[in-house]
Amino acid sequence: MFKWNKLGKVFTPQEVEGRNWLKEFAQAPATLVFDDFVRVFFSCRPSADENGQYVSYSAYVDLIRSNLFKVRHVSQQPILSLGGLGEFDEFGTYPVSVIRNGEEVRAYYAGWTRCESVPFNVAIGMATSRDGGETFTKLGNGPVLSYSPDEPFVLSGPKIRRFNDVWYLWYIAGRNWKMIEGRAEPVYKIRMASSSDGIHWNKVNKDLIESRLEEDEAQASPDVFFANGNYHMFFCYRYSSHYRGRENGYRIGYASSTNQVDWMRDDAKAGIDVSEEGWDAEMISYPHVFELDGKTYLAYLGNQVGRHGFGLAVLDGKLE
Amino acid sequence: MKWKKLGKIFDPTQHNLPNDCVQFAQSPQALVFDDFVRIYFSTRSVDKRNRKYLSHIAFVDMQKNLRDVIRVSGKTVIPLGGLGCFDEHGIFPMNVMRHGDAVYGYTCGWNRRVSVSVDTAIGLAISRDDGLTFQRIGDGPVLAASLHEPCLVGDCFVKVIGDVWHMWYIFGTGWKRFSAEAPPDRIYKIGHAVSDDGINWVKEEARQIIANRLGANESQALPTVIEIDDRYHMFFCYRQSFDFRTNKDRGYRIGHAYSEDLVNWTRDDEDPLLDVTPGDWDSDMLCYPHVFECDCRVYLLYNGNEFGRYGFGLAALER
Repeated sequence: MFKWNKLGKVFTPQEVEGRNWLKEFAQAPATLVFDDFVRVFFSCRPSADENGQYVSYSAYVDLIRSNLFKVRHVSQQPILSLGGLGEFDEFGTYPVSVIRNGEEVRAYYAGWTRCESVPFNVAIGMATSRDGGETFTKLGNGPVLSYSPDEPFVLSGPKIRRFNDVWYLWYIAGRNWKMIEGRAEPVYKIRMASSSDGIHWNKVNKDLIESRLEEDEAQASPDVFFANGNYHMFFCYRYSSHYRGRENGYRIGYASSTNQVDWMRDDAKAGIDVSEEGWDAEMISYPHVFELDGKTYLAYLGNQVGRHGFGLAVLDGKLE
Repeated sequence: MKWKKLGKIFDPTQHNLPNDCVQFAQSPQALVFDDFVRIYFSTRSVDKRNRKYLSHIAFVDMQKNLRDVIRVSGKTVIPLGGLGCFDEHGIFPMNVMRHGDAVYGYTCGWNRRVSVSVDTAIGLAISRDDGLTFQRIGDGPVLAASLHEPCLVGDCFVKVIGDVWHMWYIFGTGWKRFSAEAPPDRIYKIGHAVSDDGINWVKEEARQIIANRLGANESQALPTVIEIDDRYHMFFCYRQSFDFRTNKDRGYRIGHAYSEDLVNWTRDDEDPLLDVTPGDWDSDMLCYPHVFECDCRVYLLYNGNEFGRYGFGLAALER
């Protein structure tokens, strides 16, 4: 079992002032390391509209590299605009995953639209930045990864990686919508695709992670990190119903692989769980692993899926 | 080329159709058998929850004289998609073609949205009983929105030429609010994709293959392609993108283009080959063409006024 030492919550969106598009939530942290700071991308929301509905934006916070608990800067604007009328990302860009590609930074993000019979649908878009991730230009006004016979809806949670010059996208795809007390709730599973250019993708078309809680277990945030000869995936999972509290809410799971496609799930090894009390006592979700100055960190969300921000844990030992 | 109009050949209000459908027989598409012709079309029921329409596929079997009805489909040809699926709120149209012992049905599935009325994508369902019923290959589409085709992928026509599967289809270029009072309208153009198995398609990605004749706001729909005397002919329908439902001067007409190489298409409908007939069932509108061969004759099925609310008609090519 890995041993993660929790360091506490790093960023609280409610403390940011002067940005009406950033009122609450700091979801799905994703890092980009610079010489003297770490840029953490996250997704946030303005206040809900008169119908209680949210849109979501993506932004970043720069943390001082030598002390990740010190905020240096928060982006003045969202990194991406919402899509136009009828486009896949008209109502949200959440979450986002970033990667360097030569001089540019690429962002893969999930775009949200609103539907009539179910609350939303999601597909994956791409954008590039030439200023170190401050601003991004969408590659097109449609998605780079969309629905297919075995992945009919809700393509979300992209995590972009590149190993040996091959691009990999881990993501989730909706399996079915369940009606629970009059509300449609999506069930989704972890999937992957590979590409030689990051634009044209070949889907593997299989569930990578065996379900453990129940057949309709929902799985998200497949964060893959290569270390010591193995691929390590931290992800989160929850029950399909009544998951907004401690009982059935998100926990962080773990799987390993030698080849990116075949994964052995072993949640007992994950080494991180909800706390007895505090900001991450009800649920923990959206893990993201990164290495910095000889240490391995895990960024993750706590209660209410990051409504009040994200925190950090540091690994005692190695990922192996 | 000259078409001889043979009049309206099918009126859905004169038949009992499955799924409680009473009006509309849109986008007729033919599957020719040895001794009859099966014509699929999209008809509509009313969603009891909100009074909105649901489009369903049905068919009529006709004698090869294309006048006499043998039967209409007695049961569901293909059920609508499940909760949240791309084809949950309708299938319109479905393009059918034989492949070995199977019949492939390429569907255009409709799902309702909030900020705009609808989105669509193209699915594949396969029949092993000569087209009586179709089963999806999956819950999702085979062709959907992509980087430069942001919405409304649909209306496909598939044809195998040599060993290449060709698909002509439409893609939305975007939604536009043409007036403050009206809901947003959509604009779509004809595109092309190829495949070696009919399932995995490679799009030309937003290449509009048919030039505009009515300007940038022309919408082009439902391409259908046939080879006649070493030349490929495409028929489609086109209209203005707003005020097209009741204004006969802005509504659908049948367009035509031809190509020798399946890459470059020359539009050729300044002088329409088929036009409205004043006082008749197609006096205001001509839409949703489907061209096919039967017993060495070339026919064109199409809809007339009100997008086919009262059925479809036929024209025959005179050479």
